Amino acid sequence: MKTYAFEGTDKYYLDPELRAIVNMALAMEKPLILTGEAGTGKTQLAFEVARALGMRLEVLRCKSTIKGEEACYTQDTVLRLNDARFGSGKTGRNVENFYDYVIWGPIGRAFRADEKVVLLLDEIDKTESDVQDNLLDILDECQFTIREVNETIKAAIRPAIFITSDAKRELSDPFLRRCYCHHIAFPSPDDMRRIVNLHYPDTNPKLLKAATDIFYELRGRGFEKPPATSELLNWIGALEIADRIPEPEDPPLIGVLLKRAGDIQRFRKGDAGRRPYY
Amino acid sequence: MGKGEDARTASALFVDFVALLREYGVPASVKDLLELNQGLEKGLVESLDDLYVFARLCFVRRAEHMDAYERAFALYFFGIDLPPVAEGDPELFQTKQFREWLEQQVRAGKLPPRAVWELDPEELMRRFWDTVREQMEGHHGGSRWIGTGGNSPFGHSGNAARGVRVYGESGGRSALKVIGDRRYIQYSDAVTLREENLRQALETMKHMKAEGPRDRLNLDETIRRTARNGGEIDLVFERDLRDKISVVLLIDNGGYSMRPFIRLTQMLFTKLHERFEDLTTYYFHNTIYEKVWVDFRRVRAFPIETLLTRRQDTRIVIFGDATMAPEELELPGGALAYWGGAAQLPSTYWLNRLAERFRHACWLNPIPKDQWDSTYGAYTLNRIRRLFHMEDMTLGGIKGMVEFLSEK
Repeated sequence: MKTYAFEGTDKYYLDPELRAIVNMALAMEKPLILTGEAGTGKTQLAFEVARALGMRLEVLRCKSTIKGEEACYTQDTVLRLNDARFGSGKTGRNVENFYDYVIWGPIGRAFRADEKVVLLLDEIDKTESDVQDNLLDILDECQFTIREVNETIKAAIRPAIFITSDAKRELSDPFLRRCYCHHIAFPSPDDMRRIVNLHYPDTNPKLLKAATDIFYELRGRGFEKPPATSELLNWIGALEIADRIPEPEDPPLIGVLLKRAGDIQRFRKGDAGRRPYY
Repeated sequence: MGKGEDARTASALFVDFVALLREYGVPASVKDLLELNQGLEKGLVESLDDLYVFARLCFVRRAEHMDAYERAFALYFFGIDLPPVAEGDPELFQTKQFREWLEQQVRAGKLPPRAVWELDPEELMRRFWDTVREQMEGHHGGSRWIGTGGNSPFGHSGNAARGVRVYGESGGRSALKVIGDRRYIQYSDAVTLREENLRQALETMKHMKAEGPRDRLNLDETIRRTARNGGEIDLVFERDLRDKISVVLLIDNGGYSMRPFIRLTQMLFTKLHERFEDLTTYYFHNTIYEKVWVDFRRVRAFPIETLLTRRQDTRIVIFGDATMAPEELELPGGALAYWGGAAQLPSTYWLNRLAERFRHACWLNPIPKDQWDSTYGAYTLNRIRRLFHMEDMTLGGIKGMVEFLSEK
């Protein structure tokens, strides 16, 4: 069996613990569920694994209306009805042939691939719990059945599966049991400096330090939507264009860091130091 | 670590570890253990730090069990018994780890016998955590024998055959250093609510109904109608399912007993408003009689009879401490806030009717669950609890409420 080792990429700082986890999940061929605050790089990780290992990436972006089946395939019934009635002309489709009207979803494409691919199910917690249970069997056995023709599509090569979730608890126990789970903690200031350096290697170190310090100070104030990594990166980008080194008393362009109107108001009033409850 | 035989002896070693994890509340199973074994056979674990990461993947699924896992790991493999509280938390004095430490210190003459009275609590806490840190420092680095060391209570006393030899560290931070950070203690389910986690918990409450534009093809009906049409295609569309949920929030805003919870009430109210488009709020004082009020100051009344005509799948959230004098709840004419007359039906009558009409009704109580039997007004609280599913205002409580209200 071919082994895969993921070592991080030039755009993604990989914490050694996470590296170990990713490689263990790859070796054991288990889906890896990543939870954690927005901006901790959950989704990015799958992209970077695919890039680093030179695999194709299939992404399923979950919505609350998703049924699970369309993640595997959909059938273009209207087109087929139309072809049945008016003929398929020169399109090369044959009304008799079911597969001419199938549109494969990300899971379908991943299972049918003839090489190892990375399959990302993004924000799985948005789906209903019975959908999760359906997906669970599909992912566990790496196969699904096409209802209309009662045929099974089975993956010849198990894809490397990554799943992300924002919420902490609602995934069902059986679902969690069949996966590896890792909660990505928010990066420490040291890790954050490494992340920032990857993205802004040439920026004034003074600006980086000032911005990072203010960022962590703001995070500590308990805003409803605390600024996350992506906000910090955008902010540094904006500061660089504006050519300003931020002052802790009055950081400029605060709208890049704080997104909720209530948070910005609290920041302006300056009473944000107090947390409402413990 | 070698393969085959070594892995088998290793798994014998881990059986006790699984038992300890279960004791600590981590639902580790035999299947997980087999999985761990497979990983060992594949050679995934080369150091104790790898083991820390890999065993965690095998045994721990939820962030709220993470801290318990780390404590179990520290105890089993390093003989360090960490208390289940964060540094600086005065709950420390309630833990068995603290009591044992205190006894040891007194016996060793490092603390006076009456230390608890003579030293101030901060000083005691500081000394306790200093000892823990020293223990952790002492273990840091080098190679060691798992489970065979000195003060581990698991009796692998120097018997090398049952130990697993592991070397060095895996580039990153050592397991023990990571454990020392206690990164996961904040996820334990007992934490009280903050704005961030409340919104997240409410987000999970959904109720799907057919709504919106008819843009979904009903295949069966299309085929039937097309066939009837002599083969002329007749497409039939239907509405898609949308999240549609209507919530009625009843808030106890009167009385002295609810005063400590005003900010909590406000927060809950704002968050519910953000989450549910279809939310109606009414107010009451202590308990519910034949009317509630539309406004915060309880001037404009709203009859319960009208409320009872709402759809049966309406979700009802009642927010109050449910503590009062028994006669307020059970006697006719019990209302304190206004004169209802002797003919006024008792509150229990109205609560019963609410509970009967709305299956998805939940009582949210700001008093923590463990005080429900001992608080002032425990009698009425438990009486009401028999009628309504009751939860407290912790993150676990809100999740319980959401789960209950989301049932089909």
